[in-house]
Amino acid sequence: MAEEIEQKPADRPDGARGSAFDVLMSFLKVGGSAFGGSTQAMVFREVVDRRQWMNEEQFIIGQAIAQVLPGANPVNLALYMGLKVAGGLGAAAAVFGMVIPAFCIIMAMGFAYQELSSLPVTSFVLHGVAAAGVGATVSQGLKTTRKLPKRASTFIVGAAVFITIGLLHWPMIPVVLVAVPVSIAWAYVEAQRAA
Amino acid sequence: MDNKLLGLFVVFAPLSLLSFGGGQAIVADIQYQTVSVHGYLTNAQFADLFAVSRAAPGPSTLIAALIGYQVAGFWGAIVACLGIYVPSSLLVYGIASWWQKHKTSPIKIAVERGLAPVAVGLIFAGALAVVRAALANEPNNIIVALELVTLAICCSIFYFSKIGSYTVVFATGGIFFLIHLLAF
Repeated sequence: MAEEIEQKPADRPDGARGSAFDVLMSFLKVGGSAFGGSTQAMVFREVVDRRQWMNEEQFIIGQAIAQVLPGANPVNLALYMGLKVAGGLGAAAAVFGMVIPAFCIIMAMGFAYQELSSLPVTSFVLHGVAAAGVGATVSQGLKTTRKLPKRASTFIVGAAVFITIGLLHWPMIPVVLVAVPVSIAWAYVEAQRAA
Repeated sequence: MDNKLLGLFVVFAPLSLLSFGGGQAIVADIQYQTVSVHGYLTNAQFADLFAVSRAAPGPSTLIAALIGYQVAGFWGAIVACLGIYVPSSLLVYGIASWWQKHKTSPIKIAVERGLAPVAVGLIFAGALAVVRAALANEPNNIIVALELVTLAICCSIFYFSKIGSYTVVFATGGIFFLIHLLAF
């Protein structure tokens, strides 16, 4: 498979522009490889690390908006990124690319599931693939954390969300409903004080 | 329009706008609607389709495609997908394009700065949840160690190199397949 990476200057203030076709090709690849809850990390890999269509800060805003709004996160994320890189056509291309490979794979798996699920090798391979997905997620988390503003508020909010949801298993939606307004208000107050 | 196709759309379209935080939020309701209310599936069928949807790549809401197929064949799968994705996508499109065009203001900056750490906290919480689910019922310590080593290696590859996710994921799957053939 052609692994063509377009090198573009990163960290452009206006966000780099790409063609809808590039967006489609990128998201077809992501859509077919994002196993085990790793979709956001795989999109990050493609959009930030490889294509350099935007930087970590721009990406995390899109990811946050995709998460806060209703809808499947991968679809929302694709839509946001496609729109930012190549406008309305880019949004459609990204969603199409994200859904079509996964749609085909899930239908094939639906047919083969009875046979495949009885084989021990199936769950073993899926565990390996899931581990790779978590590796991508942790890598994205580290890269994004590095770029966050070094402020106590940032650290406290991030840690609080991780501890309550990740360690204490509090339900995600109420935690996010409280954390988002608190975090935004805190950021606003900090900015006013600094000004 | 075929009654079943219309029925699928009516089941999934409202859930689309309620799927906060992705598919997890609405799985219980999908089950209730398709098993108890409409009788499209049995509980056992639903459990099987749910397992497939978790193992497959892509959004977990693609369970809609499997249910649609079960109920009304290929077009059922298409209609169920449109139902689950189009309403939320229109909403996201509207908000995202407004957001990306809107001029920078102190409030917008505060929203962006405030959302970022929440999203980062969710990234790490999500990673932990997947690790925990994968290792929870694994009695074999060698397999646990193998998965943790895989995680660390893949994380380093993603952090330090530009190798594509597609390559890494399929190479990992292939290596695990070989390990299983040779060792078990």
